[in-house]
Amino acid sequence: MALLEISNLVAGYGKVQVISDVSFSLEPGKSIGIVGPNGVGKSTLLLTIAGAISPNAGSIKLDGTSIFGMRPEDIVRRGLSLVPEGRQIFSGLSVKENLSLGLTGRRDKKGSHEAVERMHELFPVLSTHEHHQAGMLSGGQQQQLAIARALISEPKVLLLDEPSLGLAPTVIADVFERLREIIHMGTAVVIVEQRANLVTSFADETIVIRDGKVQSRLTPADATNTDSLNRSYFGAGD
Amino acid sequence: MIQSILDAISLGGLYSLAALGLGLVFGVMRLVNFAHGELITIAAYTLVLTTQFPLLLSLVLTIFVTALVALIMEFAIYRRLRGVSPAIMLVASFGLSTVLQRVYEFTFGALPKSAVVAPSLSGVVKFAGLSITISSVLTIILAVVILLAMGYLVERTSLGLQLRAASADFRTARLLGVRSNRLITAAFVLSGVLASFVAFILVIQNPVVNPYYGLNITILALVGIVIGGISSLRGAALGGFIVGVILSGLNTLLGNGRVYSYTWLFITVLIILLVRPGGLLSKGSELERV
Amino acid sequence: MRHGGVTKFSFQNLFGPIIIISALTFFVGRTSASLQLITQFTLCYFMMVLALQVFVGNSGVLSFGHGSFALIGSYISGMLTAPINIKGHALAMNQLWQALVPLHTNIYLALLISAIISAFFAALTGSLLMRLSGLSAGIATFALLGVTYNVFFNNKRIGPGSQALPAVPTISNTYILLLLAALAIVVVYLFNISSLGRTLIATREDAMAAPALGINIYRVRLIAFTLSGFLAGLSGGMYVHVAGTFQVQDYYLEFTFLTLSMLIIGGSASLWGALLGTIVISTIGQLLLMMEQDLPIFGIHAHIPEGSRAVIIAVAFVAVLLWRSSGIANGKEFSIPTFWRK
Repeated sequence: MALLEISNLVAGYGKVQVISDVSFSLEPGKSIGIVGPNGVGKSTLLLTIAGAISPNAGSIKLDGTSIFGMRPEDIVRRGLSLVPEGRQIFSGLSVKENLSLGLTGRRDKKGSHEAVERMHELFPVLSTHEHHQAGMLSGGQQQQLAIARALISEPKVLLLDEPSLGLAPTVIADVFERLREIIHMGTAVVIVEQRANLVTSFADETIVIRDGKVQSRLTPADATNTDSLNRSYFGAGD
Repeated sequence: MIQSILDAISLGGLYSLAALGLGLVFGVMRLVNFAHGELITIAAYTLVLTTQFPLLLSLVLTIFVTALVALIMEFAIYRRLRGVSPAIMLVASFGLSTVLQRVYEFTFGALPKSAVVAPSLSGVVKFAGLSITISSVLTIILAVVILLAMGYLVERTSLGLQLRAASADFRTARLLGVRSNRLITAAFVLSGVLASFVAFILVIQNPVVNPYYGLNITILALVGIVIGGISSLRGAALGGFIVGVILSGLNTLLGNGRVYSYTWLFITVLIILLVRPGGLLSKGSELERV
Repeated sequence: MRHGGVTKFSFQNLFGPIIIISALTFFVGRTSASLQLITQFTLCYFMMVLALQVFVGNSGVLSFGHGSFALIGSYISGMLTAPINIKGHALAMNQLWQALVPLHTNIYLALLISAIISAFFAALTGSLLMRLSGLSAGIATFALLGVTYNVFFNNKRIGPGSQALPAVPTISNTYILLLLAALAIVVVYLFNISSLGRTLIATREDAMAAPALGINIYRVRLIAFTLSGFLAGLSGGMYVHVAGTFQVQDYYLEFTFLTLSMLIIGGSASLWGALLGTIVISTIGQLLLMMEQDLPIFGIHAHIPEGSRAVIIAVAFVAVLLWRSSGIANGKEFSIPTFWRK
């Protein structure tokens, strides 16, 4: 049984349907990339899985139990965390307070202290800036904070929305290196990205979304093949 | 002179507490709870009607009753209005405020209820040749203690951290596991507790309680949170304080012209808002979310 | 969901409300003298609700300040028409600034002047207030109401202060009020479907996108605020000539909340909503009043204890918001199919 299983998901805002048919499944320690043109609803998809938007139809299963229509605060307690688009760190709070907020979503409160230590090991920059205002951090540091804040609840599934947004190439490489470590430790990861070739080569599988539907599925091998990438991106025959 | 300054500070402290109660609820659900005034009113009624009990018991009872009414508001009305635009919620809270005023009128009668609460606390002390009212000193002490306690709660506890996070960005807070219903419930209970203390200070100064008892202070506290900067609790407390000090100062300075003190207060408010639409403590970049 | 979709001229959208308000005025107004008076007051309230719809409904910016314009309209129209000897000698007016005493016109000219001055006052205050939006705008307009009320309530040199100005001539012919209301419906309807009105509605739907579309929010809001001030002033003027006295207290919080409730209950996004809200709240209020006084309603006596009317109205108000937060009309304009489906 897959860890995360999405089938025939339909979602949107009010009457406006953004996601019309998306299915995929994910195993522990694996990663899935999601790419597609702007405005096809990639962020909507992640927000729906995480519970911030109520889904209209289909099913979402985490560890075999349905989390369809659950509230976000309950979903995170079941082991699924989202790093939202634009990072959404609390810029007025300190780095430490941002991390502590991530602890609210832990299933058991024991081991909180160790979890903080682990995040400091994984992202050393966070321990040096512990008492600084989060808004003062650089973009890359904020991204690391956002990931650490989601990871600290020890999720089984981590969703990331555009982790490379606004970051310099070397910083992006650094962030993805951390993600590789996280996946290696057994966390399953879903990454939404604008940079299609980056994520296609990184993830075990990448799905292309167009018009709210899964249009094609790519493997890392397709990353080097610009032709197939373009075709799937802009639609066959373009 | 000294008495005027003490009066100004004590009125500022009092309005600061009222503004904080409004600000807490606004922060977590973008609701300007106009019916906060009716929480103050029910607290005042409870205090006046329980004078036969020891003061502490009366105060505990008051807090209990007021928090209960706050919870009923949240569960019966506001919970069903989640996600509705702030303007509609504000108007709904006006409606609720009217409902409660009428219910009080029905229950307690249109005529005011009065009883002396804590007689030892109303009076004048002579100090270094000056006579100072006990209530003004007591108000300042109480306000400082409660503000410090609130400051500790908001800045140092996990609940406070969640409140601050939720005020800044409720959706992200929920994505991190902050339980929305619990947090909003907690905010309402806290606003009820604050309303009880506001009522306690008010009835010492004016023990004549009618169904509209909390209306005036709520309007002024509302003005306070907007000029202070509605997006932060500090702003709310500061704004409430400023309104209290200005009003008290105007009453002293204008002498016979004090009937116009509201005019000057509101003109000051208009100027502040035109210069800083987001309030005194807002950051320039912060756009109005409401 | 609010719909701002009504953009084309439609006969039923415009004449539906006019026919309904005319029919109600005609039938209810003829029933009894007391109901005729109620009808007259309701027409005044409706004018105010229309004024609110033009600005609050279309722009989405809450205004508590319109009571100021109604107050000024009422004050001017009242002062211009009250008998000179009353203004000169009545006990309430003994401190009046003597220059105001000889000013006198007939009712209709007074109504026009008062509406124009209210519009001017709205334009003047609006030129500052329209820079604000959201809650700041709400509080600032509230402050405006506070200032106007406070000044008129306390200053006995310009008016009766806290007392009443008696003997203001009344308009006894209900149809004149109806005519004014119908004209206002036409004006508001034409404004709402004009490109200016549509632009304003667009800023309500998405204030962030407006500058990107080249819309000057400040300008469109100010124009709507001025028109709205004109109608609010007219409403105050009508009111004073129905009530027959001018009292500052009549245009403060209760008036503000009552008319705002009517707008919001009906549905602030449409003219039809404004009318529906006025009719529903006025009808419920009147029926409950009759029940309190134990008067028969269609022959049925249903007595309720005195004072419960206000509770029931307030509860009904909250209940409607819980049921449908965008009001009964839900943004729609009048049309025959939706009307019958109800």
